[in-house]
Amino acid sequence: MDYVNLRRQAASLRKSLFDQGYLDEQFYQLEDLQDDASPNFVEEVVTLFFRDSARLMANIDQALDKCVKDFNKLDVYMQQLKGSCTSIGASRLKTECTFFRECCRDENIEGCMRSFQKIKREHSVLRQKLESYFQLLRQAGPIECATRPSK
Amino acid sequence: MASSQVVKALIVDDNAMIRRIHMTMLFRFGFEITEVEDGKKAIDQFLDGNEYDLVLMDKEMPNMDGVEATRTLRGMGISTKIVAITTDSNSMGAFLDAGADEFILKPLNFPALADILKGFNFLN
Repeated sequence: MDYVNLRRQAASLRKSLFDQGYLDEQFYQLEDLQDDASPNFVEEVVTLFFRDSARLMANIDQALDKCVKDFNKLDVYMQQLKGSCTSIGASRLKTECTFFRECCRDENIEGCMRSFQKIKREHSVLRQKLESYFQLLRQAGPIECATRPSK
Repeated sequence: MASSQVVKALIVDDNAMIRRIHMTMLFRFGFEITEVEDGKKAIDQFLDGNEYDLVLMDKEMPNMDGVEATRTLRGMGISTKIVAITTDSNSMGAFLDAGADEFILKPLNFPALADILKGFNFLN
């Protein structure tokens, strides 16, 4: 298997995530925390993020489905989601969460609905890209594999 | 300080991802970590006789929020350093009034945590 090429693909995908604004410098902080003691730390944190964010988004979906909209509750859920996005550096998601909260403050339900649809799309895209990234890293293996001389 | 030589920290946050991140940061400094998911469980830790040198306290949590937990701990005579860590910038006054020693906005980064720990003389 061409480990060098896999690593190159992973690096390219990672760079595109930053260049296209999906991730910000907070993701670097997570990468800096990964070491031999926690070799899969970033992937573990990202997995926890998507598990938690899916739950929050389900709560928001339910709250938006109700006839009487509770903007305070919607804002609380979105504040939690925004906090999680901020902590992993999910920049585009964080921006859209901010817009959603502004719509809550204005009690603009149409704005909330549109914004939430965008959040769901961004969430899905980020999930796919990060899953691809970590899959490439797993296939590429540790750096020693990439530099091991062929027999 | 807690009675053992190891510096002990209690992470209080209802978000498992945040607890994981903060735990990893504190491990880097050699802390022994306990994590709980709400303010009431944090109180219970102290009521059970556990001692901590540092508490990282979130604000919005089920059962008991961070401001109330901080106020309750101070009311119990707990003098452990409490650092409020939250996305809610408006809660700084409430946290400091409740007895928190420091207030910092999420996301917590490693250099900021190091500065706080140095300020508390946890790092030599």
